[in-house]
Amino acid sequence: MSCAGVNGPAVTDLQEIWVYLSGSPLFSLVLTLVAYHLGLTAYERSGKSPLANPVAIAILIVVGTLVAVDLPYEKYFEGAQFIHFLLGTATVSLAVPIAKGLSMLQGRIPALLLALTLGGTVSIISAIGIGLLLDVPSALLLPMFAKSVTAPIAMGIVDSTGISPTLTAIYAVTTGILGAIMARYILDGLRIRDWTIRGFAIGVAAHGIGTSRAFSVHPQAGAFSSLGMGIHGILGAVLLPPLLPWLTGWLKALA
Amino acid sequence: MIRGLVILLLFQSLGELVSKGLSLPIPGPVAGLVFLLVYILTRKRADADLELVSQGLSQHLGLLFVPAAVGVVIFIPQLADHALAIGLALLVSVALAIGVTAGVLRWSERSRRD
Repeated sequence: MSCAGVNGPAVTDLQEIWVYLSGSPLFSLVLTLVAYHLGLTAYERSGKSPLANPVAIAILIVVGTLVAVDLPYEKYFEGAQFIHFLLGTATVSLAVPIAKGLSMLQGRIPALLLALTLGGTVSIISAIGIGLLLDVPSALLLPMFAKSVTAPIAMGIVDSTGISPTLTAIYAVTTGILGAIMARYILDGLRIRDWTIRGFAIGVAAHGIGTSRAFSVHPQAGAFSSLGMGIHGILGAVLLPPLLPWLTGWLKALA
Repeated sequence: MIRGLVILLLFQSLGELVSKGLSLPIPGPVAGLVFLLVYILTRKRADADLELVSQGLSQHLGLLFVPAAVGVVIFIPQLADHALAIGLALLVSVALAIGVTAGVLRWSERSRRD
């Protein structure tokens, strides 16, 4: 690096530092964590308003920064993959709240499974149905099959099916954000006060992001949300892969 | 904390091995989840360290989604034309899922009690 020079050496140096930094995982890691931290701070400052969703804020900040500094997504992901990797570990760790939840259930399992099956089915049918009605092309519609289970499991399910895992993750995360934002209003509207029911419904419908929200509101809601997300994820991972080729063929014939 | 992480990573590896090795349609981490669940249920005694790590991970699951979700930047051109329809589909489906799950659960538990 030369420091002397007439034509703006400072700029050159900055550029060199930038080239170095943007090529190292540090930039992506710092950007992602700072963005999430800002999202969390905004969430806390708003008095935990569901509208100030920390993940949505973090995604907007990262996307805005990537566009502003003109860093391609692939480059960003090279660094951010270390955070992404932990999704698998976090999926495994769901066994802990599930085990806890199972011991608290005492005869509620049939009701929970019934609610989960109906809720999950309604989620898929309504998403695909609305998409078909509004002429969404099948390439953009197919990722909706797996979107109602948590993103890491959803991405695993569509792996090797030709459905875009990134688009699946985007839908799953959007679902989680929307669910985390709307859950309070829907559940209040239905006059459901029981934290275990509220938590379970959020976990089934809005998986990971809903569960983060549930934990921040009430520990029991968080535990049942993990339980709902975990069981939904396991069921989705077992039931969807054998059905997907058939569903894909059917949808392509329709669209 | 390290003990908890080691347990999680070992079960994640075991899940990947079994899933890939037997070419199961179930993703590796889900297989790992099931194995860990069996391990916890057979052990009876709670592992405080494992609980600490798992709680940290589940409370900040949202952070772990950010890198994948930022991938939306490469799909913006494709999504732009259908953004409204897709947004509406996701919005309605998640609202229905929350309402149906909570409603069915309350209904079935009430009718059981009566």
